[in-house]
Amino acid sequence: MFKHDSSPSTQSVTVLLDGCHKTLPAGMSVAAALLSCGEIISRVSQTSKKPCSPHCLMGVCYECLMEIDGHKRQACMTEVAEGMVINRYLSSEEDAE
Amino acid sequence: MSHHDVIVIGSGPAGLACGAELAEMGLDTLVLDEQMYPGGQIYRNVESTSAAQLDFFGEDYSRGRSLVKRFRKSQAAYKGGASVWQVEADGQVCYSCNDESHHVTANYVVIATGAMERPVPIPGWTLPGVLGAGAANNLSKEAGLAPQGEVVLCGCGPLLLLEASLLVKKGVRVKAILETASPVPSLAALKHLPRALLRTDFLLKGVKLLYDLKKSKVPHLQGVSKVKAIGTDRVEKVECYHKGQKVTYDAEMLLLHFGVIPNTHIMRQVGCELQWDSLLRYWHPVCDEWGRTNHERVFVAGDGSYVSGAIAAELKGELAATELAHKLGVLSVKERDDRALPIRKKLQADKHPRPFIDAMYAPPADQFAFEDDTVVCRCENVNVGTIREAIRQGAHDANEIKIITRAGMGPCQGRMCGPALNEILAHELAATPDTVGYLNIRPPLKGVPLGEIAAMSFTGASGPADLFKNQK
Repeated sequence: MFKHDSSPSTQSVTVLLDGCHKTLPAGMSVAAALLSCGEIISRVSQTSKKPCSPHCLMGVCYECLMEIDGHKRQACMTEVAEGMVINRYLSSEEDAE
Repeated sequence: MSHHDVIVIGSGPAGLACGAELAEMGLDTLVLDEQMYPGGQIYRNVESTSAAQLDFFGEDYSRGRSLVKRFRKSQAAYKGGASVWQVEADGQVCYSCNDESHHVTANYVVIATGAMERPVPIPGWTLPGVLGAGAANNLSKEAGLAPQGEVVLCGCGPLLLLEASLLVKKGVRVKAILETASPVPSLAALKHLPRALLRTDFLLKGVKLLYDLKKSKVPHLQGVSKVKAIGTDRVEKVECYHKGQKVTYDAEMLLLHFGVIPNTHIMRQVGCELQWDSLLRYWHPVCDEWGRTNHERVFVAGDGSYVSGAIAAELKGELAATELAHKLGVLSVKERDDRALPIRKKLQADKHPRPFIDAMYAPPADQFAFEDDTVVCRCENVNVGTIREAIRQGAHDANEIKIITRAGMGPCQGRMCGPALNEILAHELAATPDTVGYLNIRPPLKGVPLGEIAAMSFTGASGPADLFKNQK
């Protein structure tokens, strides 16, 4: 859904995304880093049971809420870091809490 | 646990200018910023961005660089990634940062939380691939990302057209611009044109923008209605009506933008008096010429007080700082007024084109004519029909509707549905939004784990509450 329009960040970090190792560009929010590599689904809505993608990218909408290092956080307000454990619980209705 | 002369919330142009000004005068200033780096939305990532990006976004963006530089040079303490979750009118502030919550106090609090895109529900806006136009702008500034595939932009206001022109300039495949505003400026707008002409530089910028869009040959439909995002797992098509005809575009992304409104969430929680603007259809705080609210210790600066753009925000931040420095004993009345005079003059000049632009892009009334099956509250998946039904059954207050339908009860705490809920309620009751009441906004303003609150130490608190004191 997104592509790098300028030279992409040369630094990268490795995170554990839904249990799998994933290399993401560094120096940006978790939401931006995931969008940059085609991971557009941020969570499954607990109420509509439908997939969501980040909407506002400025901390208002909470559509990018995911479990980051054990806490529910807004991915657009959290800087991606080496070794982060990110869980979106996309495949089941199991929730972080 | 600390006490400061002033706590500034937010570090967009207003927060940066206010914080820097105060610290330069030797006042103990703490700036709490929800984002990780200073700049707010308009100057997002301006400190570490590339020369190419600075060049691309032009002067409107790069001027933020010197502002952030000035701020960093000042002695203002900056805390990024700090989400304020409670503010009290006496200057107490609670915020969460790196999994720890802190309680800090100040003689004065400046709320510089800026503006946010007005959330306007349309059918299908919860589909993945439907984003705010501001989101695309932020991703570009923060991460150098541009939409891939075909993009449709929809909504109204100058920033919609600005974002469209930026995307076109980047080579993004913009399929269409669907503007809900009518193509003919209203008489009310024309009335303000003479004043706007005092700032031909500003108007020419707008004319050039429209010219560039025209030259790009991107279909630009004005006066569209009934916009709908269609798709199963993500947006695939965008549909709307134009001159009575149904028009459909294939698109992988729909960017929505219906203007910007002051982000008043914190102000509502503190209990600041708010006022309804019937032309721009948004709430803004009632403040005096310095940005002081009805609470003596709480000030508002920048677009959060009234949307007037980055330059005005910076000036409003400086004005608030000038008055605070006076209140805190640094400036005499004369010194304050001498400093304020040139700032006010600049503010006046900056405001010339505003009434024209505001009237020209005022939200059209039919923008809020929602269909029953459109989702209003994204968090709790509540649609317009459910809200209308609650109103028909006698719930005539936003908070009653919240309790009955759960609209506004999700993690975003009514940020995304509050304005629309307000409009729907007013429409159903044949009243205006200011007469029907708004959602009560309560702490914590942001989701905070209870453990974090339990682990806090409070300034001035005398220790654990004595639960059995009455039985002794």
